[in-house]
Amino acid sequence: MAAYKDLREFLALLDAQKLLLRVNDPVKLEPDLGAAACAMTKLGEGSPAAIWFNNIAGYTDVQVAMGVHGSWANHALALGMDMDAPLKEQFFEFARRYQLYPGELERVTTAPWQEVVVDKDVNLYDLMPLFRMNRGDGGYFIDKPCVISRDLDDWDNDDVENVGVYRLQVKGRNRLGIQTVPQHDIAVHLAHAEERGEDLPVAIALGNEPLITLMGATPMLYNQLEYKMAGAMQGQPYRVVKTEKGLDVPWGSEFVLEGRVLAGVREPEGPFGEFPGYYSGCHLYPVIEIDKVSHRKNPIYDAVYVGKPWTEIDYLQAMTTSTPIFVQLKAEFPEIVAVNALYTHGLIVIVSTKTRYGGFAKAIGMRVLSTTHGLGYAKIVIVVDADVDPFDLRQVMWAMSVKVNPTGDLIIAPNLSENLLDPACEPGGMVSKMVIDATTPISPDTRGHYGQELDKPQGTDDWGKKLAAMVKDLQK
Amino acid sequence: MSATAVTGLPPVCPRCRAATVDLRSASPVPGVWSVFGCSTCLYSWRSTEPDENTDPEKYPAAFRLNPADMPNLPVIPTIPPRRTPASTS
Repeated sequence: MAAYKDLREFLALLDAQKLLLRVNDPVKLEPDLGAAACAMTKLGEGSPAAIWFNNIAGYTDVQVAMGVHGSWANHALALGMDMDAPLKEQFFEFARRYQLYPGELERVTTAPWQEVVVDKDVNLYDLMPLFRMNRGDGGYFIDKPCVISRDLDDWDNDDVENVGVYRLQVKGRNRLGIQTVPQHDIAVHLAHAEERGEDLPVAIALGNEPLITLMGATPMLYNQLEYKMAGAMQGQPYRVVKTEKGLDVPWGSEFVLEGRVLAGVREPEGPFGEFPGYYSGCHLYPVIEIDKVSHRKNPIYDAVYVGKPWTEIDYLQAMTTSTPIFVQLKAEFPEIVAVNALYTHGLIVIVSTKTRYGGFAKAIGMRVLSTTHGLGYAKIVIVVDADVDPFDLRQVMWAMSVKVNPTGDLIIAPNLSENLLDPACEPGGMVSKMVIDATTPISPDTRGHYGQELDKPQGTDDWGKKLAAMVKDLQK
Repeated sequence: MSATAVTGLPPVCPRCRAATVDLRSASPVPGVWSVFGCSTCLYSWRSTEPDENTDPEKYPAAFRLNPADMPNLPVIPTIPPRRTPASTS
């Protein structure tokens, strides 16, 4: 476990591990920053993922970081694990710590982000190095913020305070659009505020150590606080500072914007190149007015490149998506072994499970659809046996190839709720979903002929050890 | 902070072609770029971006927005009715 006090400390670690590319040559905000960040995602596994710019046209002292979460090595380091930790190990460790909830908060009264305060004539275009990420984006988006809100109906209840990563379009000097799809917790806060006819106070923290961003991207339960989860995940209390309005903000942030979601107001927002690999289109989304901006001296602006998978966002939404599904399923079905929701924010989910009786896997598949994640994302669920590693797609494809008889193993459920960013939706927000049972039929499901599965010749494991040693000698 | 435009104010928005363009920001190093915004479709752009983002004639058709269509965009999330005084939650 590790607790990074801020983004700067984590960037220094990435630098020390040779996982940060520093671009000192002059660059333009567009198209260079988006293009370089996109190119970073195509260098291949094992290459550094984080990139840093400090010589940006028009500025003398601006720093922009991207790709901070953009590899399994970075993900492991964010969790304080060995940077070479295998994927499956990262999943089980993430899930283990996740179940230690709740951790604690450490409340302090001052933070470095209070160094510079602008509370009149706020102009975000002047205060932040905003830039267009992809060519069709309808403006400049703050796309890696932690947005903090509380429930006006339950203001003092810390457990329903929410920290979420929601894209923000800068639409005016102090005016933002916010994407709050109905499946997000902030949508509950906003609905309560709008029912009351009141604006919803929000704080927006940008440039954070990597863990709270992972927590903000995790669809945890409504009454689970991301800071308490971060405390559990890092093994020590998570340090926060209260704003004047009473919202808890990470101590280590670079920028903190304070404002209000305007009750009953919707304005055009988008498009923005989104995680499914498509632009989002335009919608009428809620609006935030910013009253105050605080930031560190020489703040670091942090952004995530979002493109056709895989890009940084796919690492950010990987274990954070898989784990809550796993934990929710496991609470009811101890047979669950592991969950892989790494692909396209878990629009497709692979679950491995023991099976109790015929039809059991289909029930598991349908339960995935009613998890907090399933309500808005999981569209195709593949259920495999316990001896199939869901993180090894070769094994998953084998199971799909031989265990599935389409007439008996597919369930298609029409017109379920879905994140409107899924381009398959018809209409937006609605989609049909599918469960594929790729487990071996067991009694009383007697379909197929699965009596003679191949195993290994006698002595294979011993030979494996012997040969591995020989390979090692060969490579000396 | 009052910004000074590198170039003159563009006559129309590259995306929706409304003549509602204003200057939002200018580069801290003078004369490098200006940021403009449209108060009709809420698009913003920088003077130094590629033509397809700054020139109405080169703005890709797929991304154009007609102001007349804007009121018909989907409302997400829907705005709930106000509570009556007697309701509690």
